[in-house]
Amino acid sequence: MITPPTPQTPSGRAAPWGPVFAVLAGLVWPCQAAVIAWTLGGWIIGTAALSPWVAALAVVALTGLRVVLDAAAHLRLSAQAEARIAALREAIITTESSAADASNLGGGGATAALACEKAEALRPYLLRYRPARWRVAVVPPVILGLTAWHSWAIGVVLLVAGPLIPVFMALVGWAARSASERQMEEIGSLSDLLADRLAALADLRLIGAGPALVDGFADASDRLRDRTMAVLRVAFLSSTVLELFSALGVAMVAIWTGFTLLGELDWGAWGRDLSPAAGIYLLLLAPEFFQPLRDLAAAWHDKAAAEAVEADLARWTDQSREQRLGTGACVAPGRMPRLSTRNLTARGIRYPDIDLGPGQSLAITGPSGSGKTTLLRLLAGLEGPDSGQILLDGQPLVHATADLWRAQIGWMPQAPHFLNQSLRHNVTFGPPISTETAIAAQLTTVIARLPRADQTLLGARGAGLSGGEARRVTLARALHGTPGVILADEPTADLDAETSAAVTRALLGYGRAGGTLIVATHDMQLASQLDRTVQPIGDRP
Amino acid sequence: MIPLLRILNRIARQERRALLQGLALSALVLGMGVALLGISGWFITATALAGLAGIGILFNVFMPSAAIRLLALGRTAARYGERVQTHDATLRALSRLRIDLLRGLMTRPQRRLERIRAAAMINRITADIDALDGALLRLILPALAGWGVIALTTLVLWLLVDPRLALAVGLCHLVLPTVIFGLGQRLARRPARQTEAALQAGRSRLIDLIAGRDDLTVYGQLQRSADHCRDAFRRHALHLRRLDRLERRMGGALDLSTGLAVALAIGIGGHLVTQGTLDPARAAIAIFAALALGEATAPVRRALSEVGRMTQAARRIWPDLPAPPVVSSAPLPTGTLHLQGVTYRIPGSGRDVIAPVDLTLAPGDCVALTGPSGSGKSTLLLLAAGALQPTTGTITLGGRPLTDWSADALTGPITLVPQRHALIGGSVADNLRLAAPGVGDAALWHALEITCLAQTLRDRDGLDTRLGFRGAGLSGGEARRLVLARAVLRRPQILLLDEPTEGLEDALADTVLHNIRRALPDVAILIAAHRAADRNVAERSVALKPPV
Repeated sequence: MITPPTPQTPSGRAAPWGPVFAVLAGLVWPCQAAVIAWTLGGWIIGTAALSPWVAALAVVALTGLRVVLDAAAHLRLSAQAEARIAALREAIITTESSAADASNLGGGGATAALACEKAEALRPYLLRYRPARWRVAVVPPVILGLTAWHSWAIGVVLLVAGPLIPVFMALVGWAARSASERQMEEIGSLSDLLADRLAALADLRLIGAGPALVDGFADASDRLRDRTMAVLRVAFLSSTVLELFSALGVAMVAIWTGFTLLGELDWGAWGRDLSPAAGIYLLLLAPEFFQPLRDLAAAWHDKAAAEAVEADLARWTDQSREQRLGTGACVAPGRMPRLSTRNLTARGIRYPDIDLGPGQSLAITGPSGSGKTTLLRLLAGLEGPDSGQILLDGQPLVHATADLWRAQIGWMPQAPHFLNQSLRHNVTFGPPISTETAIAAQLTTVIARLPRADQTLLGARGAGLSGGEARRVTLARALHGTPGVILADEPTADLDAETSAAVTRALLGYGRAGGTLIVATHDMQLASQLDRTVQPIGDRP
Repeated sequence: MIPLLRILNRIARQERRALLQGLALSALVLGMGVALLGISGWFITATALAGLAGIGILFNVFMPSAAIRLLALGRTAARYGERVQTHDATLRALSRLRIDLLRGLMTRPQRRLERIRAAAMINRITADIDALDGALLRLILPALAGWGVIALTTLVLWLLVDPRLALAVGLCHLVLPTVIFGLGQRLARRPARQTEAALQAGRSRLIDLIAGRDDLTVYGQLQRSADHCRDAFRRHALHLRRLDRLERRMGGALDLSTGLAVALAIGIGGHLVTQGTLDPARAAIAIFAALALGEATAPVRRALSEVGRMTQAARRIWPDLPAPPVVSSAPLPTGTLHLQGVTYRIPGSGRDVIAPVDLTLAPGDCVALTGPSGSGKSTLLLLAAGALQPTTGTITLGGRPLTDWSADALTGPITLVPQRHALIGGSVADNLRLAAPGVGDAALWHALEITCLAQTLRDRDGLDTRLGFRGAGLSGGEARRLVLARAVLRRPQILLLDEPTEGLEDALADTVLHNIRRALPDVAILIAAHRAADRNVAERSVALKPPV
């Protein structure tokens, strides 16, 4: 049993320099604002502290400092994000290649999606959300302190407005989420709908249903747009709240400061006179008090997306899976052993003992569902038996011996998965297809018909190959490299008479040339030409 | 970049009103932001001057403070309107784009459409469309609104403050970010493409690793296949690092250009103030405007990080958007289908897929097409439907070559039911009405009776029975019969059936096919037959030989 590791970066708890630099970059602005405010203030009272060009230079230098700090933060954050995502991908590859059974996510597509675009959805979260949270924790309090130092009145304004924002945003966000959940239940996303229609397009066109398909899609698409907009109208209220507070903050600072400077207000500045420079400084600081909150709100969506991915990931991690026998590495084949089984049972089915020397042949027969395929999978070490043993020259088939044993096997499953690679790679995993193999499997005509011969790319379903052609490719793969034994599952099922005869001929020819043959089949014509026949014994032992 | 601009142009023409409204509101929000900060800065500076001069009592506070309050509230309202409007325009545009894409793909050659069916291809297309949703929201609208507002602010500063100051601020905000964006998107093109390609390779290899796990294990290729995956992801990380570095540099350059604008406003403004040619309050307007315009150039950074993906997506999507339809002037196709010496070869391959075929199919005929697998039965049906063009030989309908009509026109009289059951998410009625829009329930039930599916559906929710995406929820045999019922509803003159009873028991297969034959007595039927049940209903059969 193996449990997928929870992918954590090795340096998960390392010093958080990324967010620290991001916070420092956020603190450059109060300095820059001070330069601007006291320069302008100097012009007003007529005694400039700094010459204009020195002040300009200071502004540029401080901007440069902020750029450097930002870049340093980004560099570290993106390295951390990459480490996290790389660890996740490595965990998926390692686990999926050492587990014996499928994961609870379903097919390869779902797991690949987790490793690819879903893992990528973690990146914006790690890059934007985390530093934004740090900045929210540090920058607004600092600005609040600086503001309150000059004016308690403005300090109170910010102090009241600041905490109110998250409260309003949470309320609005909550309403928007429940609205969007209702929508998702009803129809799913437009992308899913488009994918569904795209899959049917080629075939529906042939029955003249194309225009109707497009019209139906257009209707659904319009309905979905209306519903989405209904959700967005609510969701946008939250950013409006932020905008309102931010704009009101600036307005209140401007008006209070203006009236104070005119001398019409004489409260709020700790009983001192407010200098023009301090007034300008307050105005420059006010929008920046709200900016980190706005950044955090903008990154909220990233967080929601990341949480969805984490939930998927938790589902994938939270399962224990059967360990695969052997590593699946390529080893040089040794001598073909004598194969025998003792008291084998699996999935509630008992199998008769088998003793098969090199060069002998065996048919496994019986009605469909009687466990023929399972026996082949047991013999190849792809499944573990409930009890009993598989012996190779008397030695049990275990993790350590599995790879060496498999180096002897030519494997012919009923429905193979073709790799998204060339036909040649699907047969030999690299080297050219030998002429003997191609002739024996009657592959030459298939290859000749393909647009790029044996370099033609096969999709997962063997793109463009008919059922019979796909079977010949599977046969060629099994014959390639003259293995010691061929395990074939229903090699002649669902084929026309001619192809079926050709496959039978090729398999028997291989047997005559000294190969060991184990064939699960209900084709009695094929079974009768093999040395021996066994049948799974059926139900409970 | 060009396909992206073409797509944007197409969207702009289709959704002109929604876009213009969105653009106007975007510009309004930006403009009000600049005005709010500019006026506030001026107000504080001017009141300070008045206060110091002791003439505070004479200062007209009413206008500026009213303007500040108005701008603050107005900007909030405009922001809400802008967000709703621009998102509405984007959703409209993308919805239209998806519809156009379906419509455009419909006119593409059959072989191309068949490739699209693969899951990877569908993922790719839907992802491409999603990538384009930022094109309006984060690229075009912010760019146009930004340019407009910066230009307007420059003009106002020119008139109100000083031409030199206005030029310095305008130049830094308008020209520098534009240049940085142009340069950045060019430099990002290659790494963006490589990053995307590496991720797709990783996906495809991981699917192979997982789906082919057992085969790969037996053949000792599992570890190699896993390493192959790791390679792709490592390559992805490498290219992404280059892309990140570029983003950092460009982002830094953008920040510096804003800093430079403010610095120049201070330098030039201060110079003019010390010379006595400009009063500090008006200089303050320029400085605060330069600061506020930073909001107009901020979206460039985000746009820069996304434009690579958008360009890629646009390049793949653009060719499939519809060209103007070709109007066919030929009369409606009808009559006897005649094939003479027809062969077909996949373009680029060295061998024929079918040996030469002669075949005549008159109204009322029912012919079985037999032959071993790989002899080209399915290909011949596609040729007869006009979905493929024969390499040699001729196919005529009522004496005229099939090529006289567009593939679209041919789907009127000729219906081909392929081996796969093409069903969509929705109700049973939705699926049936794809072939016969507007037909009444009675006709639908009649077609279902013919294919022996009526009783099965009555036991569920009848015509309202819901199917999942791709017809999920029906067994193979049920899906088969639903697809056949749909073809019957179509009432074609020529019905081409590819292995029509796959997945049905012999007795049921026989009943269904004889029912169809009885219901469509005048229709010419050609059946690619694999099993005996398919051949029984035919009066004669034509055997295809494997090509040599």
